[in-house]
Amino acid sequence: MLDAAPAKKLVEVDNLKMHFPIQGGILRRQIGAVKAVDGVTFDIFEGETLGLVGESGCGKSTCGRAILRLYELTDGVVKIDGSNIADASTEELRRLRPAMQMVFQDPQASLNPRMTVAAIVGEPLMEHSTMSKADRLARVYELMDAVGLNRDFANRYPHEFSGGQRQRIGIARALALNPKFIVCDEPIAALDVSIQAQVVNLLEDLQEKLGLTYLFISHDLSMVRHIADRVAVMYLGKIVELAPRDALYSGPLHPYTEALLSAVPEPDPSLEAKVERIILQGDVPSPANPPKGCNFSTRCPKVMDICHEIEPEFDEVQPWRFTACHLYKETTNQTASQKAASTEAHKSAQLGEPK
Amino acid sequence: MTDPAINAPSGATSAGAASPAAPVAEAPVQARATPRNQWWDVWDQFRTHRGALLGLACFLLIVVMVVLGPLLWRLDATFIDIRAKNTRHIVACFGLDWGAIISCFLNPAEAEGLKVSWAHPLGTDQLGRDILARMISGGQVSLAVGMTAMALALIVGTGIGVLAGYFKRLDGLLMRFTDLFLALPLLPLLLVIIMLFRDPLRAAFGPAEGIFILIVFVIGITSWMQTARIVRGDVLALKEREFVLAARSIGTPSRRMVTRHILPNVMSPIMVSATLGIANAIITESALSFLGLGFPSDFPTWGRLLFDGTDYLQQYPERVVWPGVFISLAVLSVNYIGDGLRDALDPRIRGR
Repeated sequence: MLDAAPAKKLVEVDNLKMHFPIQGGILRRQIGAVKAVDGVTFDIFEGETLGLVGESGCGKSTCGRAILRLYELTDGVVKIDGSNIADASTEELRRLRPAMQMVFQDPQASLNPRMTVAAIVGEPLMEHSTMSKADRLARVYELMDAVGLNRDFANRYPHEFSGGQRQRIGIARALALNPKFIVCDEPIAALDVSIQAQVVNLLEDLQEKLGLTYLFISHDLSMVRHIADRVAVMYLGKIVELAPRDALYSGPLHPYTEALLSAVPEPDPSLEAKVERIILQGDVPSPANPPKGCNFSTRCPKVMDICHEIEPEFDEVQPWRFTACHLYKETTNQTASQKAASTEAHKSAQLGEPK
Repeated sequence: MTDPAINAPSGATSAGAASPAAPVAEAPVQARATPRNQWWDVWDQFRTHRGALLGLACFLLIVVMVVLGPLLWRLDATFIDIRAKNTRHIVACFGLDWGAIISCFLNPAEAEGLKVSWAHPLGTDQLGRDILARMISGGQVSLAVGMTAMALALIVGTGIGVLAGYFKRLDGLLMRFTDLFLALPLLPLLLVIIMLFRDPLRAAFGPAEGIFILIVFVIGITSWMQTARIVRGDVLALKEREFVLAARSIGTPSRRMVTRHILPNVMSPIMVSATLGIANAIITESALSFLGLGFPSDFPTWGRLLFDGTDYLQQYPERVVWPGVFISLAVLSVNYIGDGLRDALDPRIRGR
């Protein structure tokens, strides 16, 4: 897909920052900020699925919500289908909403317990169309068919459903307005494994049928491998690596990605013994007080002096492969030749590693 | 998903052949088109709450009594029949000797040492005004005051609570305003308000209407704070729920967010406040009348009757008992209705 003529960029995120203020003192003045998302840049092409992975608290969900402007952005540009939603007015934003929708993590919490399924799925239609009551009901039934819910359930309340069915209701609601882009915010994290597969397959089927574009946020690396075309890895509010799926899983560039992938359990016991796990030392630093230089410098197994000083740029180091790591910077100012040598050594060591 | 299970036996019994099964399966889906109005579900659940039904029946009875009562009992509440003054209520017959009880009921005029009459089944007061007629017209005023004052308190309280909870910018201001009202000493405030505004309002709207407006306003304005606080707390919690975020991602504007997602979910505390509010308003009105601050003395309300009756508590306890019983009954039945309604409005409890 990536080798074909470049598809249209549907979503362009440039230097997105989402800082939450910390207030303190008697006067409740701002004394700092939690840098939940701190300068994230990526594009999503039409019809693809971008997986966004990372550990808990690294800012994945905040990033997803910020892209739909469910938060007021601190800085950055988010263009969806050409229109910048970062500084759109409330009314403009409301007009743009139908193109972008969201599927939430907790299917129980994301459905209003006092509304029937028909009312929940019909709400977007009520807000954005002038359909008659009968037309709306017909469309609701159509959507329920599309996500595999029995039409007889239209008059029931969310608490009467199982987790998987509730998530289907959430998906039906997201589909109601024929969106182009859906942010799936850990849609399967609250479901058990057998249901996870159903929901993911449903999402894939819908993508195929309706030509949807997904931002698939998850901490489940194997599920992302299954569904995503490209994968972005986040650490402490920043994207450390962005690469096509196969390339990323077979040869991760960034040390964090490497460590993350080494944590995926290997189903084959004979191979399991051979897998070398990279266990990171220490804890994730607080996003309110990130370390100087590279965010990962406090835990990186391949840390260098420069990592504590200068923040690495997020660059395309190989075709289609972006990473933010000094290991791959051949043109950094000081001791260039020395570093280049070490980088080369690393690269070859990594590429040589069997996976 | 349940369709095949349901339709399999019907398909098998209809013809035994496989072909009719498909149309049979298709038909009920089409027929079950419009979902049922959910207020029917609310009513179904309400009916299962025995206390609430009893309360509703009792409350309706009281309402019918005070509304239709004047048509049946044609005595005027202010008509003075001085010769019939201090008549006991008919129940006083039970105080006689065993043999005399029945004859007392049949022919009360000839009862020994007891002034009772079927012309005044609940007796008369010290001026000879019929207590039943006074109870009926007093009930109209008391219930009207109770419900209007409750509605006022509820609208103000819910409005302020929702605004403070939903819009962060208004929160501090509105809540300090609420605290201010909570800190005001109630009785001195009422005294001052009534002293200041009684006469202008009477002049503007007439004696009865003027004082009605004043009392409703005074009760409403002094009892919305609890509701506001409870509602604000609930709204604050609800606002962080994911379904509100989901509605925002759909593009629901704030006002519809409040009416569609916030208000239905704070219904329970509002319901409870409302029912307690009616009770409170009736009692406050009684207390005001009791203190002599409410309606004028020739204008009966349940509280006024209670107040007038206390002077004769020793000789004529019924003058206190009847208004007291009706106040309690109205308050209790409203509380039960509220309880049932709160359960019925919550779909999670419904059907259990």
